[in-house]
Amino acid sequence: MKSTTANKSVNFEKAALLWSFTWDADWVSAVSFIGDKYIAAGNNLGEILLWELPNKPEPLIEITSEKSKPADKSERPLYSSPKPIRQMVGHSNIINRLLCAENRWLISASNDHTVKYWDIEAKPSGMAKHVLNARTIEDITRNKNSGRKPPPPLEAEVRTQDASKIIQGKEWIVGLSMSQDETTLVTGDDAGQVAIYDRKTGAEKKRWQVKGWAFAVAISPDLKQALVSERYPLVFDSGRHTAVKLWDVATSTVQYDLSKEFKDMQIASAAYSNDGKILALGRGGEGEGKIFLIDPATGKKLRELSPIHQYGVTDLCFHPDGKHLASTGRDTVVRIWNIAEGKMIKELGKPRGGQFKDWFHALSFSPDGTRIAVADMAGYIHLWEFR
Amino acid sequence: MNDQSNSSECKKSEHFSRRTLLKGSLATGAGAAIPNWGGLFHSQSIASMAQKLGKRCILLWMNGGASQIDTFDMKPGKATAGPFREVQTKLPGYKVCEYLPKIAQQVDKLGIIRSMRTASPDHPDGIYHMHTCYKQSERMPHPELGAMIAKYLGQTDADLPSFVRMGPTGNAGSGYLGPRYEPFGIERNGNMPYFTSPYLPAANESRRNDLLRFMEAEHKKENSADAYESHRVAKERAWRLLKAKSLFDTTKEWPKHQELYGASDFGRGCFLARKLTEAGVHFVEIGQDNYDSHADNFVCHKANMQILDPAWSGLLIDLERTGQLQNTLVVWMGEVGRTPQINNRAGRDHFIRGWTIVLAGGGIKGGVVYGSTDADGRDVATNPVSEGDLFATIYTALGVNPRTKHFVGTRPIWATPEGSKPIKDLLL
Repeated sequence: MKSTTANKSVNFEKAALLWSFTWDADWVSAVSFIGDKYIAAGNNLGEILLWELPNKPEPLIEITSEKSKPADKSERPLYSSPKPIRQMVGHSNIINRLLCAENRWLISASNDHTVKYWDIEAKPSGMAKHVLNARTIEDITRNKNSGRKPPPPLEAEVRTQDASKIIQGKEWIVGLSMSQDETTLVTGDDAGQVAIYDRKTGAEKKRWQVKGWAFAVAISPDLKQALVSERYPLVFDSGRHTAVKLWDVATSTVQYDLSKEFKDMQIASAAYSNDGKILALGRGGEGEGKIFLIDPATGKKLRELSPIHQYGVTDLCFHPDGKHLASTGRDTVVRIWNIAEGKMIKELGKPRGGQFKDWFHALSFSPDGTRIAVADMAGYIHLWEFR
Repeated sequence: MNDQSNSSECKKSEHFSRRTLLKGSLATGAGAAIPNWGGLFHSQSIASMAQKLGKRCILLWMNGGASQIDTFDMKPGKATAGPFREVQTKLPGYKVCEYLPKIAQQVDKLGIIRSMRTASPDHPDGIYHMHTCYKQSERMPHPELGAMIAKYLGQTDADLPSFVRMGPTGNAGSGYLGPRYEPFGIERNGNMPYFTSPYLPAANESRRNDLLRFMEAEHKKENSADAYESHRVAKERAWRLLKAKSLFDTTKEWPKHQELYGASDFGRGCFLARKLTEAGVHFVEIGQDNYDSHADNFVCHKANMQILDPAWSGLLIDLERTGQLQNTLVVWMGEVGRTPQINNRAGRDHFIRGWTIVLAGGGIKGGVVYGSTDADGRDVATNPVSEGDLFATIYTALGVNPRTKHFVGTRPIWATPEGSKPIKDLLL
């Protein structure tokens, strides 16, 4: 997830969970701030909802969901969740990535083979109703032996709007990233196609093929270099394949092949620092969630961050100040790292579940850098504030 | 980021070990027994002889258990559906997964059983049960399907093994039928165990073997016990195996068939299976791994289906093209299905209350979808099929009486459990 310049000094060590928006229709798979005032999130059904953050939030009175009750008071959000105000309709499958340009354009990549643009200043075209805790109610109702009573439905009525631009692909578009100057998009799909687009017009500028399925993608701030990780997720068959390469965008040729360095690792997330001098890579899957810092100019590994996420990394996001990195993964924690020192300075959230944990899918910093939003597969969007 | 990478399967200890898998081959290497091997080798007559042999069977074994909801019993719009979409088949109103587009065009050849309700939920017991139609917990070691076919369809004077196995399949063995019907294990590219490569020049090897024959003939004059004779026969069979090696070599033919079957180990194995059955092997089992997707089910299945789809459809097309399909039963199955519920690892776990197995070819009506599951796929809705029913159907299609009785000592044992019934709707 790309971030813009921070205006405020942020103390990461003091953080508070402001809201946990309930939305359990399916896994919440992507999240993005739109300006400092709006949050958009996508889910595995292809739905995208938009929330407006209240200036004067109401204190949380009670926990509204039976699912995943926080273990102690410190994890409870301070405020009662606002209801979503808008739905972006049109996707029909998992939303893999969401990002925002000009604090106005929401851009989404999906398993329905498309990238879609949404103008949040556009007039909505219709209405839709949602029960935000529908899955919890359904599960409890079906499992009558659980002894639990279904919670009251959290109903919300939203305005709907259609996409204003659609880029059609041919396979699941898993990778989507935007340049620091917001002029360029890069996508990667399960057909192994990597494409560079003009962000404003959606016009394709470049396209090339990689051997495996394109997984994580990122483009350098100077637009000259792209990171593409590849996978072909067979475990035992000789067809398995992983790769990590730095590509020269102008010539579509490999500058540095890092595959030996990251042998058998599926790099699930990648992000260039704001000045382009560091490339962060996160190892996905169920193995150790390692984070590596790379020098994009040489392809050399600079540092491996410690402690590792217990399971794979799902998203990496540089803070607008350019000095800090946020990471999250399949261990349902968010970590804030000081890049210069390579140290973790804050951990948000707690591992939950049994042997295997739920996932946090995605991260997004607010443009002013004071807040971070997290997409939680359990059916939440969490929002922390640094104070 | 919606990261669904790295498959995570059951622990190794939960699977059949490689040692177990290779057991049959090692026994062969030791010269103790060359399993299910027929009579003298007549290379020039293999093809014509095979045509007289009647029915054959190819088992495509989905090791770990493929997901029915992500293949042949999709539940669009339901919470259990997952991210795959449907594609229309040749059968009006019936759709399969979008990542099986080539199989969708072969559905007129398939008999699809969507209502398997079985009794063994884990890998070792499921592999045994789905290979023998009997529970593993029974004390009697039952023979697996391939061994039964080797016994009833194989010919003692044939030049080839009747039961060949490739890739990850598990191994329930020949049970009470004895070592004669054990599978002969090879790699999916046709490579045989290392010990089948002679380390002497052919002329030297021949002289060496003649010397051994002479010595054993002299020895036999004074020692006529069965054990010595058995050992001698095993050696003779091993030498015939070396002569037949060229049949297993696909090096020259594979480039011409790669496009049809897909460039994969499994695809090549399917091609070899077609070649072997054409040459007279009665039962070939070939395994495809990676289905045990307790985590990241969808990326695993998507990758698997991209290998399975051309390999399986290519096999059916090739069998039809070579005139073998009507006599060759192709079975697609694993040991379990996968849960409708998607777990918090983006995976599906083992499931036995309503899953799918597909039959095609010899003796089976094509274009038939038998049985159904409920709206979410959580249980069988109509026409439940047990392991015994499935095996009764397979045996009937192959011309073997499913109530064939064997005696182990004085104890009678039937080919399928009491009450097993063939699925008439699927049989020609």
